[in-house]
Amino acid sequence: MAEIPAKFDAIVIGSGPAGSSSAYYLASKGFKVLMLERGRSSGSKNVFGGRVYAAPLKEIYPDFEKSAPIHRWVTREKVSFMHGNELVSLDYEGNDRKSFTTYLSQLTGWMALKAENAGAAIVTDITVTGLLMDGNRVTGVKAGNESVKADVVIDAEGVNRLVLESAGIVPPLKPSHVALGVKEVVKVEPDVIANEFGLGEGEGMAWAVLGDVTAGLPGGGFIYTNKDSVSIGLVVLLDSAIDGANEDIYKYVERFKSHPKLIKYFKDSRIMEYSAHLIPEDVWSLMPPRFYYDGLLIAGDAAGFLLNLGYTYRGVDFAAYSGYLAGRAVEQAHGHGSMSAENLSVYTKLLEQSFIMKNLKRFSGTHKLMRNRRLFTVYPAMMASLMRHIYSLDYESQKMFSALLGAAKENGAGPFTLLSDGIGVMRHL
Amino acid sequence: MSAAEQRLEDILNNDIWDVDPQPHITVDNEKCKKCNTKPCVRLCPAGCYTVSDNTLVFSYEGCVECGTCRVVCPLEAIHWEFPKSGRGIYFRFS
Repeated sequence: MAEIPAKFDAIVIGSGPAGSSSAYYLASKGFKVLMLERGRSSGSKNVFGGRVYAAPLKEIYPDFEKSAPIHRWVTREKVSFMHGNELVSLDYEGNDRKSFTTYLSQLTGWMALKAENAGAAIVTDITVTGLLMDGNRVTGVKAGNESVKADVVIDAEGVNRLVLESAGIVPPLKPSHVALGVKEVVKVEPDVIANEFGLGEGEGMAWAVLGDVTAGLPGGGFIYTNKDSVSIGLVVLLDSAIDGANEDIYKYVERFKSHPKLIKYFKDSRIMEYSAHLIPEDVWSLMPPRFYYDGLLIAGDAAGFLLNLGYTYRGVDFAAYSGYLAGRAVEQAHGHGSMSAENLSVYTKLLEQSFIMKNLKRFSGTHKLMRNRRLFTVYPAMMASLMRHIYSLDYESQKMFSALLGAAKENGAGPFTLLSDGIGVMRHL
Repeated sequence: MSAAEQRLEDILNNDIWDVDPQPHITVDNEKCKKCNTKPCVRLCPAGCYTVSDNTLVFSYEGCVECGTCRVVCPLEAIHWEFPKSGRGIYFRFS
């Protein structure tokens, strides 16, 4: 094995949001950092839904709002229940610069450039294949026949943890651990976005759709407006999809896009890109036994840091912030003289004190809730029949309460089912 | 299928790859033969897996590198790793 003679303070595996922010933090504190990326450029292997929450990124990058590639600030949040040709929607306007849409490939490229400008060395086209070990201590990384040494390795390799699996730190992924996201980015002109989505200059929409969009499979659809395109796709829990998907998964996206109530957004549009990615779902089962080892920290998707609530996903800000905290942990361990597991254990403390672990704990029951099929079948249908009873009239108007009872009865949800599902939602969401 | 729905090969035509001459996917046909469900066929978003004459046929060239096949294969017949040296899918707008 050929060993690269230079030795680094830190090696970062993967230049996604987690890796790039850790490399940026450490390089700006004067550490000698090497970040290795398997793609041809940083961001070229990254996929997300379409929206990023800004606060954590603003904390990491003071100039974030001024210079990051932000497409549109989300000013309009929509949640819809789809049942056949019907759509029942809740539409919220009132956000002020809390989250934005972008292409993750672009955002990650920007973040990697920040790391490079801070002094980190980035080498692309390198797939890390394993950890270099001295007993139980991680001393560097292997890439094919080559190896590089460092005092500490930050593993930000993403959800497909081939490196951590090969080191025996985590078992292979199981279908119940993850969801599958599939999406198309579709060219839509800004004036069409403005008119059809009802958005002003620089304003964006985040739209979650539940129900028939996944043919009743646990998961949901999403639509995000970018500068001059729209991201449309869906997420399905992988274990449910194994049993329940009756046709090729790409067809679900095509059908979503051609839904009678949605087609107007996409007529004459052309697909710019098609992508897919696995998403941490049952994060408490997916998490590695520890986030720190002798000479090793784990950040981002690889650590299971993603919040999936069905109507909202938070992955990029969680990843970026965990990378930043990994950087701070390395800085503190350096102050204590070595990258031992004991010194690096401060990483877990930083995570526990941050919004990352607080959120993941608060919502630890949602993945069970997501497995309640009724949320994706009975309730969207019920919402549609309720609205139909109230609004789809020829002569006779109906009282709200009898419309509600009628809708529940039509869809086979008795009062006890309604009550217990209602309590489940209140407890977990 | 409504007129607006597109075929997968037309959808995939919008993506860019630098194909690795070395396949990053291999399938153990002996193990695969014993699998009746073959979830990889429906769940691979890029349609890399098809069944022909009761045998699984795969192509690695159009892989979008999500890793789904590796996770859903019930008999661990699919060996999937990342393409080497910057090869594979190149996302620009995702």
